[in-house]
Amino acid sequence: MNEIGYYRPKTLVEALKVLHDYASRAKVIAGGTNVLPDIQAGKVKDCVLVDVTGLDELSGIRMEGDMVYLGSLTLISDLAASRTIREQANVLWQACQVFGDPLVRNRATVGGNLVYASPAADTAVPLLIMETILVAESLGKGRREIPIGQFFRGPGKTVLAPEELITSLFFHSTRSYQGAYIKFGLRQAMATSVANCGVLLSGTAPFRTVRVGFGALAPMPLRAARTEMFLCGKIPEESVFAEAADIARSELQPISDLRGSKEYRLILADALFKQALRKALA
Amino acid sequence: MDPISKSMITIFVNDQPVQASVGASESLLDFLRQKALATEVKCGCGRGDCGTCAVLFDGRVVKSCLVLAAQANGKRVYTIRGLAGDSLMANLQDSFVQQGAIQCGFCTPGMLMAAYNLLRIKPTPTRSEIRQGISGNLCRCTGYQKIVDAIEAVAKKIVLVPDAPDSMDLPIPAPTDQEKAKAGYLLLGGG
Repeated sequence: MNEIGYYRPKTLVEALKVLHDYASRAKVIAGGTNVLPDIQAGKVKDCVLVDVTGLDELSGIRMEGDMVYLGSLTLISDLAASRTIREQANVLWQACQVFGDPLVRNRATVGGNLVYASPAADTAVPLLIMETILVAESLGKGRREIPIGQFFRGPGKTVLAPEELITSLFFHSTRSYQGAYIKFGLRQAMATSVANCGVLLSGTAPFRTVRVGFGALAPMPLRAARTEMFLCGKIPEESVFAEAADIARSELQPISDLRGSKEYRLILADALFKQALRKALA
Repeated sequence: MDPISKSMITIFVNDQPVQASVGASESLLDFLRQKALATEVKCGCGRGDCGTCAVLFDGRVVKSCLVLAAQANGKRVYTIRGLAGDSLMANLQDSFVQQGAIQCGFCTPGMLMAAYNLLRIKPTPTRSEIRQGISGNLCRCTGYQKIVDAIEAVAKKIVLVPDAPDSMDLPIPAPTDQEKAKAGYLLLGGG
C-alpha cells in the first residue's frame, strides 16, 4: 500500500500541530527538489506531505549586529544573489553559485538542503565551518538551538525529532575571514559532489584561526579538527599545506560508490584542500 | 485536520483557470500536460535532470517536475506559450529560429525558459555566464553552440535602463478574489 496525503498549513503554529499529530508519518516538503524525485523513485510513501511553502515568515535574510539570520525557506538563488551573503558569508555564497543548476536554485531552500542530510550537500560544509546554529521548533520540545556540528548523524539522518521543524539558522559574520569552497562533480551543473572542501582562515602570517570542512568524504559533512589544530599558528607555505593534507586525509572516511572510489576520493580531497587554501589566500 | 489524498485544485495556467482533481504526489508537470493540455511543456526525465519542463511559477523559472501540483493551487503558472507576448521571450524565440538553435526542438521550450530566467537577472551575460545559465538544461542535438549564439544575440540587443530596479520579481499579481470566485477556486487541505 502506498498512500500519500497532502497538507498545506497556513501558519507556523498550524504546521507544528500537524507535525505533532502525524509525527513519523509526516514528511516535510518545501522546494521539493529532493522530495519529488524520491516520490518518483518510490522512496517516499505512506506519509503525509506537509507543505511548508505557505509559511512566508520562514523566508528571508537579515543582519543584526554581527549576526546573520536566515529563514529556513530562503531560496538558494536568493542567497546566491544576496550582497549580505556575499560580503558576510562569502564561503556560503560561493557554494550557492555552484549548487544544482539555476532552475533548481530557484526552488531549493537552505533548510531543505540541511535536513535532507546528504553527506555531499553543498550548503552543509560552509555552514559547518561558519559554526551555524539551527533553530528547531515543535509543540513537544518547544524551541531549541542545535549547533550544526551536532546536527548530522549519518546519510539522510539528523538529530531532529519527527515533529521538529527547522525554522531558521544563524551565524556570525565571517567578513574578516578569507574563505573558499571548492566542489568537484562529474559535470559542472546538476552534479552531486564526488568531494567538496571549504576553508575559512583569519590571520595569514601566521594563521590565527583555521576552519576546514569536507563533504562527501565521510557519512556526514565533516569538520577536520586535527587539521585545523595543526595549521593554527603556522605560516602558509606549500610544505605546510602538504603536511596538513596528510593529516586531513587521515580524518576522512570516504566510501566507494558510483561517483568514485574511496581511493580516488582521498586523492581528490588532497587536491581540493590545497586548492581551497590557495584560493582563500589569493 | 485531515490530509487530502485527492483534491480539486485550480491553477491559473497562462492566466486561464484550470480546475482538476489531483493526487497528493502528482507533479505540476503532469498537471500541465495532462489536465491543462499544455503540451508545450515537455517531459524529458521527470526527475529534475534535464530542464525540458521549465515554467514560470511564483515569479521564478523552475522545473515543473520538481513542484507538486498541489503547491501551485491558486497560483499563476506561465509556459512559453503564455509568455509569447512578452518582448524578451518573443526576441528569444525569434533569435533561436534565426540562429538555427533548434534541431529536434524537444529541449527548446525549457531552453527558452532558462534563457529567459538568465536574461531577466543578468541582461548582459558573458558566453560563459550564458553556458552556466542553461547548465540545467540538456540538449542532445545542437552541441549548445547555436543556443549560446542565439541567447548572446538577444543579450547584445538589450539596452540597459539606468537605475532600473534591481529585482528578480516580475510584476505578476496574485489571482484576484474575483478571478478565484469565477474559477470556482477550492481550498485544499488547510487552505
